[in-house]
Amino acid sequence: MPGLIGPDEVRTVSEAALELPGADGVEVLFMHEWGGLTRFANSSIHQSTWREDTGIRVRVVTGGRVGVAASNDFSKDGAAKAAASALEMAQVAGPDPNWPGLAPKAQPPTRAGFDEETAAVGPDRRAEGVATAVAQLDRAFHAAGAFDTSGVEIALANTEGQFCYAPYTHAGFTTVVSGGDGGSGAAETTGPKVSEVDPEAIGRKAFQKARDSQRPADAPPGRYEVVLEPSAVDTMVAFLSYMGFSGRAIAEGRSPFSGKAGQQVAAPAISIYDDALSPLTMGIPFDFEGTPKRRVDIIENGVFKSGVYDRRSAKSAGTESTGHALPQPNPEGPFPLNLFLATGDDTLEEMIRSTQRGLLVTRFHYSNIVHPIETTITGMTRDGTWLIDNGEVSHPVKNFRFTQSILEALSNVQMVGRESVLASEFFFAASRVPALKVGSFNFSGASDH
Amino acid sequence: MLEVAQHAVEAARKAGADYADARFVAEEAESLTIKNREMEGVDRSYSQGVGIRVLAGGYWGFAATARTEEAEIDRTARLAVSIARAASRLPMEPVRLASVEPVTDRWSSSFEVDPFAVPLDEKVGLLMEASGNMQRVQGVSFAEAMLDLYRRRTAFASSEGAAIEQTILNSGGGIEATAIRDGEVQRRSFPSSFRGCLKAAGYEHIRTLGLTEQAERIGREAVELLSAKECPSEVTTVVLDGDQVMLQVHESVGHPLELDRVLGMEEAFAGTSFVGPADRGKLRYGSDRVTITADATLPAGLGSFGYDDEGVPGQRVVLIDGGVFQNFISSRETAPVLGGEARSSGAMRADGWQNLPLIRMTNINLEPGEGTLEEIIGDTKDGIYMATNQSWSIDDKRVNFQFGCEVAWRIKDGKLTELYRNPNYTGITTEFWGSCDAVGGREEWVLWGTPNCGKGQPGQVARVGHGTSPARFRNVRVGVR
Repeated sequence: MPGLIGPDEVRTVSEAALELPGADGVEVLFMHEWGGLTRFANSSIHQSTWREDTGIRVRVVTGGRVGVAASNDFSKDGAAKAAASALEMAQVAGPDPNWPGLAPKAQPPTRAGFDEETAAVGPDRRAEGVATAVAQLDRAFHAAGAFDTSGVEIALANTEGQFCYAPYTHAGFTTVVSGGDGGSGAAETTGPKVSEVDPEAIGRKAFQKARDSQRPADAPPGRYEVVLEPSAVDTMVAFLSYMGFSGRAIAEGRSPFSGKAGQQVAAPAISIYDDALSPLTMGIPFDFEGTPKRRVDIIENGVFKSGVYDRRSAKSAGTESTGHALPQPNPEGPFPLNLFLATGDDTLEEMIRSTQRGLLVTRFHYSNIVHPIETTITGMTRDGTWLIDNGEVSHPVKNFRFTQSILEALSNVQMVGRESVLASEFFFAASRVPALKVGSFNFSGASDH
Repeated sequence: MLEVAQHAVEAARKAGADYADARFVAEEAESLTIKNREMEGVDRSYSQGVGIRVLAGGYWGFAATARTEEAEIDRTARLAVSIARAASRLPMEPVRLASVEPVTDRWSSSFEVDPFAVPLDEKVGLLMEASGNMQRVQGVSFAEAMLDLYRRRTAFASSEGAAIEQTILNSGGGIEATAIRDGEVQRRSFPSSFRGCLKAAGYEHIRTLGLTEQAERIGREAVELLSAKECPSEVTTVVLDGDQVMLQVHESVGHPLELDRVLGMEEAFAGTSFVGPADRGKLRYGSDRVTITADATLPAGLGSFGYDDEGVPGQRVVLIDGGVFQNFISSRETAPVLGGEARSSGAMRADGWQNLPLIRMTNINLEPGEGTLEEIIGDTKDGIYMATNQSWSIDDKRVNFQFGCEVAWRIKDGKLTELYRNPNYTGITTEFWGSCDAVGGREEWVLWGTPNCGKGQPGQVARVGHGTSPARFRNVRVGVR
């Protein structure tokens, strides 16, 4: 494991940028990232990598004009050069009428997110984990996937006196098992600690799904009742967030939630909130502008409450930043990285038993937006889809294409799982979600496998 | 830079590598975004480092570092070898590399005007004018104009003796108008969606894009879409503009013909392919109008280069000839699977210094046919013309797809008539290409650039090119809801 650079050295290097002459304000975002990823396919390790990088991103404001420059030269000289480059960029920019100023000095909450053991994992341990997962398979099957472990130090310093620093770690294991007479199964885990990754359980689960999805049958597209496992629910929550939870998108009228505050947008069983400070997720206690993070209730009992804000969108909306800035500049505006869909009272088995004729879906693949205001997305099912007949899983079916409004589906939710898991649709965000049973879901086409 | 890469190779050999290559990559980028004549983002970045790839005992290892002092390079080389040795925990057929002549060379992409040397206020002025021209159209809510510049310098060395220095310059820009009314959001982009059209060229490319000249039309179309009818749901003839054919080629030809996907190496993330090695020369992929090439030698292509990241020269390969599948896009590791003395097609590229090279598209092109877009539309009795990609989705074997466009018009008796909003279409890859009965001629052919092709774990982004003309397809299901 590379040594932590630590807050003192970060502060020292940052000073070289913060002291830039000719600027009204300077902000330095620092990141030090390292990690290994052991990738496997056909039950062999075929790509195994490790990398380490440091980066500084300097934002300079002068006369209300803002410029940004980034470099991976983590030295006093590199910081000073990046600051000078950002100033040059700022000098050609027009004044930003919505410039909110840099984040004021404020102590973020403390949050334990760094695990020494995870930060120090080497290639042998990852390879052993992969071998353990592969050992769960019969010979007719093979596994593909990745076991990754990484560490990050992140810090934010600005000329308002704000300085915050947090290290955190991540460990993730994903696998797809396929083979036999067609069909496949998937399983994954993601979290802050490698000790909580259980390759044996992941391999066993993916293999079980692959075995249960052998010889998938054709089934007609159409509307079905559907039981969505957490990975599929994560896709819906992540896309809903992408299309709608940004306070900037809401203010600009391009969010499905524009003008919807206080209105019922989903079933009463649905509550969605963002909470980076929860021990049940991965996160840091401040955003990329240095604002301390706090919990935001976005949809409560099916009623839309509020979006999330960074400093600029908050100023435009006449409110305060909720600590959801992305690295600046960012035309998309703020974004929630630690979403939760609140759990309910039901088990997956109860959901299946309550279904007359429907589908059980493991996960979705390559989803994309069809209509952002209607929250309609399309995508494919993948790695385990089964027909449910009269309360029992009947047989595997070939993959379907769905074209479905997320808010319509969330309005038709009949049951919510009592257990949630952390999943990641996008590279940089993780949501903690349960399984859902939805009364009607539109499967618009089918594939051949 | 080359000396550092050569030292890294030597250090890897000393650490026990049977084969090693190293890339010292330095990349600078500049990005400008204007929204409603206000500066939305002004961003410069610089990143450099060294990536070391080794084969030890038949297994791959890769390690990368941003620090280029000798001791750090030595440590990273040892780490790459230890990663390769750890991979032997599971048995695998040892990697065998297709042969390549080791080359000592320097190569640069061509340009006339260095875009990084153009004064910032000139670049900002161009975008301000384009944004202003869109804003003048009543009903335009957001008028965005953007510009992206990249310069990547790479020094490549291998234990086989290759020593290659390469500089590639990419420039591009675009405009985007958004109109919002009564809960409907409509967008029009030019010349292409998702930050415009990038090429391996200098600022002269940006000057010829026509961003200011086309801005008013783009703004007007965005506003008109608010009042347009929804694209009807039906099975009909579809004519796609060159920009959408680019996306169709990218998703339903380029990706499925990447040999690493075919061999299962991307299975867990992006998926595999419906095409197999035994399909070469046999599989009818499309109609006889469909000939598709991979060509890294095209001037100004976003997927053009002198050498790939294994030191293999850029080349032209016919992938589909008259509708029949012929070749894959391959690498030194994957090509031998095809048997005989198969050589790499020269398609291995890495996203920066910190990533392992993967098989990536070069410039994947639908070769031109005959006739103009106007003639193709004029020859169509009834159908729908769709333009400018908006969204894409395709299954894990690249069989079932559904793509959306920004705008569509009804074709009636050879003429464009009613405007439609939110158009999309769906199909099965080989059926769709099999229904292609017209491809526009050379005069309509444009070498587009896709700057955001994602692949691999950890995730990598590649800039790739596609030369396409408008094309016509029969019996297509449109207006999927």
